[in-house]
Amino acid sequence: MTDWNAMDDEDFRQDVRRFFEQKYPEQLRYPLQRLRWAEIKGWYLTLAEKGWLAPNWPVEYGGMGLSPAKFLIFLEEQERWGVARTPDMGMTMVGPLLIKHGTDEQKAYYLPRILRGEHIWCQGYSEPNAGSDLASLKTSAIIDGDEFVINGQKTWTTLAQDATHIFMLVRTDPQSRKKQEGISFLLVDCASPGITVRPIANIAGHEEFCEVFFDNVRVPKENIVGEINQGWSIAKAMLSFERITLGSPKQSQYALGRLELLAHQRGILEDPVFLDKFTALQLDVADLASAYARFADVVRRGEALGPDVSLLKIWATETYARISNLMVEAAGAAGAMGGKIDFGAAQIDVLGNFYYARPAPIYGGTNEIQRNIIAKNVLGLPS
Amino acid sequence: MNMNTMNESHVDRDDERRLLKDSVRAFVERTGGASRARALRRCSPGFDRSVWREFADLGWLAVTLPEAYGGLNLSLAEMAIIAEGLGGAVAPEPVIEAVSLAAGVLSHAGGPLAEAILPQVIAGTLIPALAWQESTGSYSPDAVATKVQTDSQGGLSLHGVKAFVPYAEASDGFVVSATDACGLVLFWVPASAAGVTLTHHRLATGASVGRVTFDHVPVTEDNRVASADTAARALGLAIEEATVLASAALVGLMSRVLDITVEYLKVRVQFGRPIGSFQALQHRAVDLYIQRELSNAALADAIKELSANGNSSSAHGAVSRAKARCSDAALLICREAVQMHGAIGFTDEYDLGLYLNRALVYSAWLGNSDHHRRRYATYWKDRAQGVAA
Ligand SMILES: Cc1cc2nc3c(=O)[nH]c(=O)nc-3n(C[C@H](O)[C@H](O)[C@H](O)COP(=O)(O)OP(=O)(O)OC[C@H]3O[C@@H](n4cnc5c(N)ncnc54)[C@H](O)[C@@H]3O)c2cc1C
Ligand SMILES: Cc1cc2nc3c(=O)[nH]c(=O)nc-3n(C[C@H](O)[C@H](O)[C@H](O)COP(=O)(O)OP(=O)(O)OC[C@H]3O[C@@H](n4cnc5c(N)ncnc54)[C@H](O)[C@@H]3O)c2cc1C
Repeated sequence: MTDWNAMDDEDFRQDVRRFFEQKYPEQLRYPLQRLRWAEIKGWYLTLAEKGWLAPNWPVEYGGMGLSPAKFLIFLEEQERWGVARTPDMGMTMVGPLLIKHGTDEQKAYYLPRILRGEHIWCQGYSEPNAGSDLASLKTSAIIDGDEFVINGQKTWTTLAQDATHIFMLVRTDPQSRKKQEGISFLLVDCASPGITVRPIANIAGHEEFCEVFFDNVRVPKENIVGEINQGWSIAKAMLSFERITLGSPKQSQYALGRLELLAHQRGILEDPVFLDKFTALQLDVADLASAYARFADVVRRGEALGPDVSLLKIWATETYARISNLMVEAAGAAGAMGGKIDFGAAQIDVLGNFYYARPAPIYGGTNEIQRNIIAKNVLGLPS
Repeated sequence: MNMNTMNESHVDRDDERRLLKDSVRAFVERTGGASRARALRRCSPGFDRSVWREFADLGWLAVTLPEAYGGLNLSLAEMAIIAEGLGGAVAPEPVIEAVSLAAGVLSHAGGPLAEAILPQVIAGTLIPALAWQESTGSYSPDAVATKVQTDSQGGLSLHGVKAFVPYAEASDGFVVSATDACGLVLFWVPASAAGVTLTHHRLATGASVGRVTFDHVPVTEDNRVASADTAARALGLAIEEATVLASAALVGLMSRVLDITVEYLKVRVQFGRPIGSFQALQHRAVDLYIQRELSNAALADAIKELSANGNSSSAHGAVSRAKARCSDAALLICREAVQMHGAIGFTDEYDLGLYLNRALVYSAWLGNSDHHRRRYATYWKDRAQGVAA
């Protein structure tokens, strides 16, 4: 068994890079939508076979056991090559959660099935009336004998139609003093009777998120993670790493490259008006990369990320959106054409980028909420 | 209101316009607003021909056309009311594209083809399209590579490729710009003519935009709409008018999106209060409102200038100012509307997407904000030089 962490950072980077470059399907690079299970399954199983599906899990659970520093390199290389996200909630959320808070039985049952690609997880937090105010969620789980009985509705659940399991926040104590205190964390098999999944098409026409309805769904009591009514603090602890991954500069760097190609093909790259706008974005991306590197150093040292990491998510997602806006503008008369547009030597999906940039400032905590966090917890402004 | 009786009535102009506005609103409400566009967006030709006939009955296809052809001879201001009202419902019928732009060129050129074709346009039985841009996407009416060639027997044929032709698949014929030995010419080519082929591309809205190939299409002098200065003037003026009307449609749609969004801010509750009570959102809504008002003001100026001064550089400046402002404002308002709605704003089921897609189409059409700012700069520079001289 390779001790990855003992390797020199640069050697490790080269190994990972080579593997992605050799094994990742070319036609799936830099997709402008979340890939469905049927499309990405092959790659998922390639990773599983290589033992690289769960880079951040400890070795004893079948992971690569990467240190935070090495894990970041892994993620950076993945993004550099435009490797798509697999339905990775099992690896990024459920695995680390169970390793920390799960029972031995839960670990023994779920972890290997995630690694074999047998269980695909989705995240059931948001509800129609609990978005930014997640703690007001209402889906209830009531104990009846050895089981919880779940009633209610989740929504915006990404790729629920491909998932075999859903991890969810449910209200187990409607009488709690604070709304955060009556919430528990449950693991649910999507095949349970009483679950209905309805895919919802997004603006780009892709069915990437779903509504999930629960009608007297019975779940064994041992499917709770942590203590009853302690689900909120468990869920919150899982959020901070998400903010740094959502703050990665790679999507913007890639889009900037496409924009440059588009401008070159249209003969406006040397135009001073365009060049000024383009250069401003180039600097935005370069500074994002530097800011990202500083937070990555914190992770590398094994320290906890502070609330200031929210600035990465804001700047990364809004920079990407501005790049996609300029792509539409630079495409001129072709700026409203759907699908890949032929710009001579290059085929560029202008609207694909434009649509793909829209939801990132919404998910993972809206950018307004991220700004509230910085205002309150970084600048210390009164509420 | 049936507009065919309008110019005979004695009510004053403001009342007339109010009545027209009401009648457009009534049509939109009766026909289900944006839901009609949703139902039609993936069908061919992307709009409803029975609605087109209804527009003809209402007189909406006749508004700006001269009385000599059976038109109502009303002003651009009346047409803008229709464009704005239909824009607010993302109505997919190509009123601006077919009537104001394509039929507009014929009307400004005059002559026997205008006499033959325009009554059919007004009756709703013939839908023309203007094929003027080429694949470079240039907006300069004289950047034309399509040619009229003369063979050894003196026969004429049209040869070239025209791009970005809206609703080409639904069009009965094309007004085509080309050059011959003497300069710019405009020809009328029926869609069924030998040598005419179409390929389509889907726009953001789902509507189709055509690339029309004219492969040595035989034409005769009877197909000639206009030549040289007359051709340039007719083409130029119709493009300016259609640009103003596209701006009007953008104003209509941005107003509707702003209304939808402000309403949502009032009713969506998070953290125990309407999200519209959060100042972060209030200020952004106000910024959008300011953009809408600026768009309205710029549009009104453009209508006035173009109506008064036609093909002048001051009119062109006003048109560019309006199109630049309306294009940017519409896109900004739609993007911000999505963000301020949260996830529901990103769904296809909610109407915002229909508006966003239409904003993309009309802001790119006939020159986006970048193009029109550049054009404005050239007029401004010309004027400055004039002052200096
Ligand atoms: C593509 C996509 C995928 C998603 N995937 C999942 C998933 O897999 N699982 C899951 O559980 N959820 C998922 N979500 C849901 C996501 O977490 C929510 O959309 C998000 O939390 C915002 O909630 P909301 O959509 O209800 O918007 P709301 O909370 O209703 O917000 C509407 C607007 O009000 C603003 N606002 C709200 N409160 C404040 C405040 N206090 N101050 C200032 N502004 C405020 C918001 O920023 C936003 O602009 C996904 C969303 C998207 C778009
Ligand atoms: C050059 C000058 C000339 C002036 N002339 C006159 C005059 O002729 N007559 C007159 O009556 N006053 C005048 N003023 C005073 C002016 O009206 C005040 O400065 C203004 O009302 C702000 O009040 P403040 O200075 O106490 O700042 P504060 O009210 O303390 O505001 C400080 C900052 O907080 C922001 N802020 C305050 N409240 C809110 C809120 N509810 N939501 C969001 N942001 C908020 C402000 O915009 C500002 O950026 C003048 C000021 C200047 C600078």
